[in-house]
Amino acid sequence: MSALQHFLAMGGYAAYVWPAYAVFFIVLIADTLAPRLRRRRVLAELRARLARQNARQERKPLSTPASP
Amino acid sequence: MSDWIPLWLHKLGSPPTFYRFAGVLQPWAMALALLLGAVALYGGLVLAPADYQQGDAYRIIFIHVPSAWMSMFIYAVMGVASFVALVWRIKLAEVVAMESAPIGAAFTFITLVTGSLWGKPMWGTWWTWDARLTSELVLLFLFLGVIGLYHAFEDRRQGARAAAFLAIIGIINVPIVHFSVNWWNTLHQGSTVNVFGQSKISAAMLWPLLTMTLATKFYYAASLFRRARTDLLALEGGKDWVRKIAEDEADR
Amino acid sequence: MTRPGLATACAAMLRRDLTLAWRRRGDIAMPVLYALIVTTLFPFALGPEDTLLQRIAGGVVLVTVLLAMLLALDAMFSSDIEDGSLEQLVLAPQPLALMLGMKILAHWLATALPLIVIAPLMAAMLHLPGAVIPVLLLALALATPLLSLLGAVLVALTAGTRRSGMLLALMLLPLCVPAVIFAAGAVAAAQQGLPWLAPVAWLAAALVLAVVLAPLACAAALRIALDA
Repeated sequence: MSALQHFLAMGGYAAYVWPAYAVFFIVLIADTLAPRLRRRRVLAELRARLARQNARQERKPLSTPASP
Repeated sequence: MSDWIPLWLHKLGSPPTFYRFAGVLQPWAMALALLLGAVALYGGLVLAPADYQQGDAYRIIFIHVPSAWMSMFIYAVMGVASFVALVWRIKLAEVVAMESAPIGAAFTFITLVTGSLWGKPMWGTWWTWDARLTSELVLLFLFLGVIGLYHAFEDRRQGARAAAFLAIIGIINVPIVHFSVNWWNTLHQGSTVNVFGQSKISAAMLWPLLTMTLATKFYYAASLFRRARTDLLALEGGKDWVRKIAEDEADR
Repeated sequence: MTRPGLATACAAMLRRDLTLAWRRRGDIAMPVLYALIVTTLFPFALGPEDTLLQRIAGGVVLVTVLLAMLLALDAMFSSDIEDGSLEQLVLAPQPLALMLGMKILAHWLATALPLIVIAPLMAAMLHLPGAVIPVLLLALALATPLLSLLGAVLVALTAGTRRSGMLLALMLLPLCVPAVIFAAGAVAAAQQGLPWLAPVAWLAAALVLAVVLAPLACAAALRIALDA
């Protein structure tokens, strides 16, 4: 048995050790990615709101003279 | 406010200052966490010898025990931040308390799953109603309760204050639960399980464990900074400093 | 305007809540009915063997009572929030914690007391030995007010939210673990002929602590939840 195979076999406990490490890393990676995605969403929403506000402000001076 | 608190601490409590401060520290904390984690993994999985009783299965300890410590540490941080948030009504303390909860829940979940994966080969069962296991499960429910209550409110700050109150109730509750479960288990003559046995842990096993503990601490700091920064952006959406960040990032 | 004395205010509060509960007698019957249905279902699921039912009887009655109380917990403050009388209570000159204590007492009388009354029937349905029933009633008499008090704090916390049923269960579970353990422990000990006083004493100690602290915590929680 090669050294790598021996290492991966974990003395016969591979079925328990590697899933444990997999859970550890998957959960923490998910925990790392979640705020990144949320940050992108929050900023996109904010930009959309700002764009709407700007559009409204630009339209106002044009529309007021025509209103009476 | 009282004079003994230095000015920089007050400044740190203001969202834009903290946002910049956390932005500077976050990559360093993450880098340290990854570096220490890699060293600990090498030491734990490759260098440390197999246990004479448990064989290689004991290697789960290097993630299980640090996660268990972190779950309790994060609950304590959340409790202290909650107390500060309720007494002094500091927005940043609310953010720290509420953004700690998901990280704490993640570590508690990891503790439960890895513990059950370790328990199957060692005790022959995925789950036993041992005092420590049960307390950890109750801790998970406390975290989930805090997260659930926080999101049940439409007003974010009000939700944060209510959930902070719940976190403080939970801090009083944890020792009571641990005591009562201990009492209950001795009454029912439960299996006496001792993770460490009588074997003292050797230095070759101890240093990766402690290194991993440090790595998870740094990971928590990095994750908390990242989450707090995002949350501050969402909370302070109308403020000028947030608008500037939104506009700057649109150019990229 | 003269302020009525504290005792008068407490009595008025209690009378008001009990009158309201009596007007909606159907609501009082619901948890009782629920508990009876659950108890009836257990023998169908587990088989009618006496020994098995006897062994689980104490625990089943306790958990059933707990769930039935959880069912009614949601309604503790909801009608008062809807008609605004809870906000009046917050603004009233009388100490809020004391008034809330009276409301909790009224709620306990309206929901938990009927459950305790039918507990011997539920225990008999599961063949719990007659000698153990007094211990079961004592444990219930101590555990149910404890649950009402703890539940009230959580209900107050969720006062500002819509639809809190499942959330309430999630938040109550960690808090009620000790109460369930000691109440069931007392019943189990009595059933095995062991001394059962210690768990009952722990329950009583917890209840005394909760009677003092829970109304205060409830008042603080309500102030947070209603503070708009």
